[in-house]
Formats: sequence, C-alpha cells, structure tokens
Amino acid sequence: MLSGGYTSKKRVMERYKIIGFISSGTYGRVYKAQGKNGEVKEFAIKKFKPDKEGEVQYTGISQSAIREMALCTELNHVNVVHCVEIILEDKCIFIVFEYAEHDLLQIIHHHTQPSRHAIPARSIKSILWQLLQGLLYLHRSWVMHRDLKPANIMVTRAGEVKIGDLGLARLFYKPMQCLFNGDKVVVTIWYRAPELLLGSRHYTPAIDLWAVGCIFAELLSLRPIFKGEEAKMDSKKTVPFQRNQMQKIVDIMGYPTKEKWPLLTSMPEYNQLQSLLASTPRVHRPIGLETWYTSCLKSNQYPSNSSVDSPGQEGFSLLSGLLEYDPQKRLTAEKALQHPYFTTGEKPSMNCFEGSTVEYPHRRVSQDDNDIRTSSLPGTKRSGLPDDSIVGPAAKRHKAEDRMWK
Amino acid sequence: MAANYWDSTQRANWTFSKAQLANIRSELEAKDRALVSQYPLPERRHLNIYFYHQFTKLGRRMSLRQQPLATAQVYLRRFYTKIEIRRTNPFLVMATALYLACKMEECPQHIRLVVAEARNTWPDVFLADTPKLGECEFSLIAEMNSQLIVHHPYRSLTDLQGNFSLTQDEISLAWSIINDHYLTDLPLLYPPHIIAVTAIFLSVVLKPTQSSLQVHSVGVSNALQALGNMQGIGASGAQSRVQKLVNWLAESSIDVEAIVDCTQELISLYEVWETYSEKDCKDKVHRFIKAKGLDK
Repeated sequence: MLSGGYTSKKRVMERYKIIGFISSGTYGRVYKAQGKNGEVKEFAIKKFKPDKEGEVQYTGISQSAIREMALCTELNHVNVVHCVEIILEDKCIFIVFEYAEHDLLQIIHHHTQPSRHAIPARSIKSILWQLLQGLLYLHRSWVMHRDLKPANIMVTRAGEVKIGDLGLARLFYKPMQCLFNGDKVVVTIWYRAPELLLGSRHYTPAIDLWAVGCIFAELLSLRPIFKGEEAKMDSKKTVPFQRNQMQKIVDIMGYPTKEKWPLLTSMPEYNQLQSLLASTPRVHRPIGLETWYTSCLKSNQYPSNSSVDSPGQEGFSLLSGLLEYDPQKRLTAEKALQHPYFTTGEKPSMNCFEGSTVEYPHRRVSQDDNDIRTSSLPGTKRSGLPDDSIVGPAAKRHKAEDRMWK
Repeated sequence: MAANYWDSTQRANWTFSKAQLANIRSELEAKDRALVSQYPLPERRHLNIYFYHQFTKLGRRMSLRQQPLATAQVYLRRFYTKIEIRRTNPFLVMATALYLACKMEECPQHIRLVVAEARNTWPDVFLADTPKLGECEFSLIAEMNSQLIVHHPYRSLTDLQGNFSLTQDEISLAWSIINDHYLTDLPLLYPPHIIAVTAIFLSVVLKPTQSSLQVHSVGVSNALQALGNMQGIGASGAQSRVQKLVNWLAESSIDVEAIVDCTQELISLYEVWETYSEKDCKDKVHRFIKAKGLDK
C-alpha cells in the first residue's frame, strides 16, 4: 500500500459546523452547515455513504458519485449548483455545495396549499429562463443531466435557479458503448421522455428538454402533468414497458404517429405501444395539449390574453415545442431560449422572486439527526444495486422521491 | 468541459511549463533525499514504457479499449507529481487508476474483478485486496482534487482527419503516435489539439510504411525541416499534402513552436526506446517495493 494509508488533509468537522439534517436519498444524506472560519455563509453538504450500511472497509466509490464529483469540480455556471469543495474522509465522500434555501418541488408544494394562488407568471418565466440557461451550458459542455425534476432544481433566496444533483449526469460525446448499456433506467418516471419509455438505446440531450416541458406544465398546473405509476423491474432484471406512464402521456398528447415521428416504428417497444392502442379506446380521444393548457390557465386564474400576468399563447407554443414526441424535432435548449415566450414582452428576470409577494417557507432542517459522522441511521437504505456493478442495472433512483417535508 | 478544454481543470491545474514540472519534481525528491538516493529509478520514459506495458497487460485481461488506458496513464502521471513514487506500490496505483478511469470513461469494472485480475497479472508484487484498492482510490482522487475529466487528443484527431483527407494508414499511424505521447511528459505540457496536430503532421510526413509503433527518427527530422521551412513556402508550387498541411498550420493560429517541441519530444522518445530494458525497470521497481514492504 501507500506507506501510511490514506488520511484526509481536510476535515469536515474542522471546517464546517453542522446545523441540521436536510434530506436523504439513495446516495446518502444532505446536511445544512455553516463555515467555521467566522463566515456567515451557509452550505449544503452531501454525504455519500459507503454502499453497505455500517461498512467499515473501503468498497470502491459508486460510479454515480464519481460522475458527480468529476462534473461538480469541472462545471461553473450561475444556473448550475456550485460546488465549493470535496472532502474524502473516513471512507465517506462529502461534497460541499453553496446552500439554496428553496427548490421547485417545495415552491410548487407551497402553492398547492388551499387558499393560495398559482405561481406568478413572471416567476415561471424567470424559472424556465434560468433553467434553460443552465441546461444550455450543460449541453454545450456535452453533459446530459438525465434526472431533471422539480426536487433537483434549487432556488436561492435571491431567486437564482440552480440545476442540482448531477449524480446521473454523464458526458455524451461519442460514448464508447451505447448509453443504454450503462444505466438501464434514467429519469424519474413522470419526467421520462417518450423515446426512453419506448426503449430507445441511443437517446440524446433531448430527454432533458422533455423533462423541462413536464416541469413547465407542473409549474402552471401545480401537479405533475403525466403522473403515471411505475412498473417495477421484475426478478430477471429486465426493464418492463412503462405502460401506465405511456398511457398518461397519450391521454393528453394523443397517440404518436410515424408521420409526425418517422423513427417511431423502429423503437424497441413499438409493439407495446400498438397493443396499448388496441386495448384502450381512450387513446383515440385524447384531451389534447391545447385543451389541457387552456383549462389549466383558466382553473389557475391566469388571464387568457398575453400579459405579464399570463404565460399566454406563447407559453402554449413553447410547451408544445418541449413536449414534442419526436426527439429530433423537440426544441433544444438553445432554440427554447430564442422562443417568443422569452423574447416578446417583459425580459425574463434573473431573480425569479422579482415582483412577487409570495413568502416561501425556509427549507426544513431537522435537528434530530445532525451528526454527520454517524451513518447507520434509518432513511439511508439504498435501493437497487450500486451502478458500478458489472451485472446490475443502475440504482433505481426514481424510487426515491426525496421529498423533504414528508 | 468535455467539449471545452479551454475552461477545463486540465488546462487550469494540470498543464505545466517544463520549468514548473521540473520544479515540482525536484521539490518532491528533495523531501525524500535518502529514499531517492537509496533506490535509483530508470530514466523516466523507460519507466513510463514499463508502466504502459503493465497497464496493457491488465487492460487486456479486462478487454479494455484505449481510452481508459490513456486516462489511467494520465492519472498516474498526475498522482506522481504529488506523491513520491518510492512511497507507493506503483502496481496498486496502476490498478486503482485503471479502476477509476473505467468508471470515468463509462466502462465500469467491478472492483473485485480489477483486484482479481491485478493479482493474476502481478502475483509477486500485488497482494492487495478490495479495501486496499478502495483506500488507494481515495488517495488518488484526493491528490487529483477530484479533477477526473481528461481531454484526450483522440477526439481532435477524429475531428481533424477529414480536413486533411488522411488515409486509413495515416490515421492509424497518427493514432499510434498519440498512444506513444503518453510515455512522455507531453500530456502534462500541451493541450490535446496540439498533440493531435503533431500526430497528424508526423503521420503525413512519415508516410506510414512501417507497421511498428516506433517511427524512424530520420523521417522525423525531415518533418522538422519542413516545419522549419514554413515561412519559405509560398502559395505557389506543387501542392503536396505535406505542403498543404504546412500551409494550413501557417494560416491557423496554432502554436507552431509547440508542435516543433512535441515533435522533438517524440523523436527523443523513440531514441530512448532503443535502450529500453524491461528487466532493468522491473528490478528497480520491485526492489523498493520489496524493501519497504509496499506489497503487503
């Protein structure tokens, strides 16, 4: 071995004071912390735990942790969550991020409380604008996020939107093996693009834009637009066709056709789609995205004409460009940012709270478990196999809807 | 980032001038005077050739492709700018670098498989188990400040090969030259596109007749001459492919001096290669491992 073995030169507890526990997920736990050097700045420390609970030996770092560490140190954009440092200590990895007081899931949740109103239209515009700026940066850097969802999109007190959780993100420049072989399951089911549901092996950054479309719809209607139920992987570890999720999409969007999506018939699960068509007559009478949109604006009391207070018809046009079946026709981040929704009317603000009087609650920080050094507490159970396993598929990240207020 | 070398940590933190690199190394050795004089090592490039062969042996057992091997070599080189080699078991560091590179290059191998294959490859000097490799992974990542994304010249080669309508032979020679550059300090000295252009230039000038990786130094000095005469070459005259390339170089804003330097480093590598002795390298490396019990 290296003489002396490994000891960290940096110590988490020497540099940070843990204020409390924020959330846990498949990877480990997140804590809120303050710097110890007298600075008042706040941080979120993500602690990756060893694969096995209470593991006392080194077992190798999971591929998703490796990806996140490598990408975090490399990326630098105002709309991507900023990594302050990474500390490897006591067989654990600590990624220290700048703290964000809110996230989109929490913001949406706040508005669903009875007697509350819809999210202000200009806030939504600012959120989407910033989200797409961050995504454009990622895509230009050849990074696909692959797990965009409201819980992963942070918002600071100053109203800056920051894309977080790069644990599933990866580089897509000429992959050595097709992307499908790496992680069989990506993207939380409600935000999963149709080409993924249909088993596409060579998927593209367009999957992130579908997710942005779903997030846009959710900001408007305050509930997931395609809230399907996930079919679980069977004991043989084959990936099942996500029939229910596809059904939810078809209910609104209608059945995809090969006229509109030429490569549709070559999708591995095309037959499944046809059987869906045969068995459910409802797919012939879809709601239609426009009807969905119009009634959503109405029920959330957005004015129907275009104004600062309403996403208007431009909003619909952008949404339908994002929720486009054919990934090749779907808007790219760059094209979406040039859309009239952003270029006409008021310029989107880089502060999504600008002009808003809504007071959002602070992130809940629990005190019951603020010992970052203990690892074998409930709530950290890992589902699925670690994804550097040569036999196993990706850890089933989508299972963990890490909702912090639960 | 991946597409953008200019904003990368590789450019910011892992590209040095020759003087900087020499300084870093002499400071490192100065901290371990006794150790360094007690266990002399082969010439650096010989050692790199030896390590490369070891990487290849291990990689072949896992049917790995070139890219993770290249990344692992860069990790090794970076790590040893921070840690004195004689304080480590290079075989453990190599196995760990390859394990980590495989994850980074999206061809993950199970840690137990890597440990098992390393034990089979180096039964005398690799006795480590999974926890040891896992611990070494922590050292490797910490010393590299978690900066694990490596930009390789292979991609620039792929991007540029169309520009110069390279033949299949020339492409594979350029590819081999890129493979060879990992045996020198060049990955720590120059950006990947400079290396790629050097490799293309050499492959066109040398006319790949020989199948061996080692390139005749005569051919290389002709190449250098062509580069030296660049200013003299006008737009007129026979548009040989070499000239076309030289013209392209002159018109682009590429640092020609850097290309000359890379070419010289490569010639010098091929000269040094003539006196490579695997046995000598093996003996010297095994000696400090055994003496200091680093294989345990």
